[in-house]
Amino acid sequence: MKKAASIVAFVAMAGICACGAFGQALSAQQKANLEASLKVDTSVLKSADNQSLIVLSSQKKVIPARPADPDALAETDPLHWYDMEYAGWNAKKVNIPQSPADGAIGKKIILIVHGDHPWTTACTLGAMKVAQACSIKLKVLSPNWDLAVQNQMIDQAINEKPDAICLIPLDAKAAVQQARKINDAGIPLFLFNTLTQADAMNYCVAWTGPDDFGQQRKLARVWADEMQKRNPGAKELDVAYVQHAPGGSPYFARCWGPMSELSGYAKTVKTVAKEAPGFDADKATQVVSDWLTRFGPGLKGIFAADDSAQAIGIFEAFKKAGRTDIVVCAAGNSKQGMDLVKEGKLFAITYQTAEGDGALTIKTAADWFNGKAIEPVRYLPQKIITKANVDSFYPPQW
Amino acid sequence: MTTHKKLDRSGALSWVDHNRIYLIFVVALLVMTAFAPKFFNVFNLTTISKTAAMNACVAIGFTIVMICGHLDLSIGTVITLAGVVGLGLKKYVGYEISVPLALCSGALVGLVNGLLVTKVKISSFIVTLGTMTILQGLIYQITGGNSIALSTPDAFSVADFLGHRLIPLVTPRVLITLVLVLLFQFLLSSTRWGRNFYMVGGNKSTAWLGGIEADRQIVVAFVLSGLLAATGGVFFAMESSAATRNMGDNSLMYVLSATIIGGTAMSGGKGGVFRSFVAILALEIIYDGIILFGLGNEVKIFLAGFILAVVVLYEAYASYRHDRVVGQRSELLAELSAAGRGNRSTDAASSRG
Repeated sequence: MKKAASIVAFVAMAGICACGAFGQALSAQQKANLEASLKVDTSVLKSADNQSLIVLSSQKKVIPARPADPDALAETDPLHWYDMEYAGWNAKKVNIPQSPADGAIGKKIILIVHGDHPWTTACTLGAMKVAQACSIKLKVLSPNWDLAVQNQMIDQAINEKPDAICLIPLDAKAAVQQARKINDAGIPLFLFNTLTQADAMNYCVAWTGPDDFGQQRKLARVWADEMQKRNPGAKELDVAYVQHAPGGSPYFARCWGPMSELSGYAKTVKTVAKEAPGFDADKATQVVSDWLTRFGPGLKGIFAADDSAQAIGIFEAFKKAGRTDIVVCAAGNSKQGMDLVKEGKLFAITYQTAEGDGALTIKTAADWFNGKAIEPVRYLPQKIITKANVDSFYPPQW
Repeated sequence: MTTHKKLDRSGALSWVDHNRIYLIFVVALLVMTAFAPKFFNVFNLTTISKTAAMNACVAIGFTIVMICGHLDLSIGTVITLAGVVGLGLKKYVGYEISVPLALCSGALVGLVNGLLVTKVKISSFIVTLGTMTILQGLIYQITGGNSIALSTPDAFSVADFLGHRLIPLVTPRVLITLVLVLLFQFLLSSTRWGRNFYMVGGNKSTAWLGGIEADRQIVVAFVLSGLLAATGGVFFAMESSAATRNMGDNSLMYVLSATIIGGTAMSGGKGGVFRSFVAILALEIIYDGIILFGLGNEVKIFLAGFILAVVVLYEAYASYRHDRVVGQRSELLAELSAAGRGNRSTDAASSRG
């Protein structure tokens, strides 16, 4: 009996020792993986326009105190947009998974974008460059602008149990339930590119992307300065906005961002019209032609949410009407936009690196896997492109 | 012997023709199970059933309208309208009132469509195209281009309830759809009221001679289409806790394709709700597999178009074949042709002799 008990005890001890040794080996493997992951240098990566692929904004965003009820303020008051512009900064994080801190190498990330577009292609390329450098397995899904399909893809992504999900929400408000679902599944979520309703930020590890409000405000100032320069002494400068597709944050940031900025910065600027014709040059031409007829020579500026199809449509309308005096600024830096800047038609555009956008979310996820501290919001740098510096941004990313 | 073979072949073709949607469904399921990574598991199959739920619900009404020989192009905007009404009014009156109001809004749109088609005698294509455009503008006016989202705990608890799995593959939203599909399949196939839709779509004059009020039947079909599109839309919005300005935009082409693939004739008088439901599931299985393969959206569009093209071509061929043999008795023709061959050989033998 004693002999049998001794044998059982011996076997148990041997088992415990074996498990311990195995656990130690696994831990050593993880440690090695972390060390190797930390050695990966993504700063050498370049985007197609020969800019550094990953550059974080060096400007410190000043976060003002939240008004009691931002919605009660006028839309031209910058603080009316507080919950969208500063989404993520005051997030009360819920159920955020702990970083495994075992290195990014070998991790699997599913990246869900919003839809097919040349911008998305460039964005995905940037994400792939970082994923390749960090030896991350990346799967990219595109719902082609369909919310039901994006919801389906989120479910499928959860089913695949990746190490992280990176998501561009199709809709700022619908993002809340999407983020909750991923969070409930215990999968770390990294939102990027479009700003979401503030509540969605509670469920993600971090949000990365352009400070859309910030850069449109910056562009608005350049725009207003140019209009005032071209129309010295003018008591009123009528302007109009060609808006982004409704729903996402750019719709708000690229119209009410500049509008609210100029309500304080350039009081002579008066908004006379705004419309969202979509991303069809013909429709933009139609809308702008209508404005030119309605407002005549009083119309001094147009701010477009898109520097490609919309900008092309705007200048087509100008050509038909024989107008060359209107100051046009637009968001984005597509090939069409940069060419128009170079030709001297578009006065200024924002530098919005598509590749950098995709790259930054993967880099942030990699940093998280590597156990680094992650800020709740990471912005891309803000730059304004004019005729003076446009050459340094060629060749364009998309 | 030859006659029997021909009859067998014709019978097999007829069987394949009659059951083609079930065959497409089974083939799609088997192929994806065999090849698509992580396809055949409860979570993914539930994802498929959840994704199919909204459009399957919409397809019920759409199929009934098509059986009547009409089209309802307004279903996509009705989906959005119902979502906007259901979620937009929730904070004022609660879901108990806002959801019925959303359903009523869909039914009302259907009623307007039906009355314009039957009383003003405008083509359903034109009427519903107009309704669609008007509703798009109306929704834009109501929402200002914004989405409507609810981030309150009670809205989240409803969303979680609608999305949670009751039994494998079935969530409450899927259950609602299943009940509706089975109910309308029963009504259409087993009641006089339901069969009247086929009569109206098949031959309006015969329906009239049969004492059926065709106009009333068509109006009912449009009301059902609006009501069921609204049902799909409002429950989808509740589960998403958000109604976006364009949430129903992609449904029209999807439901139209599925209904045709399911065997409902655009000319009316033929089709079935359950078949449309299976077609939606088959398409969803294919789309799901494409995503799991990591293939792009372009592949999805290509495959959807390809399947639709094959089905439409087959329909055209079947129609041509039908027109050729209409009024003929195939076995008699076969006997005559055999007899003709016999006579010719006898003549040939006598001429040689």
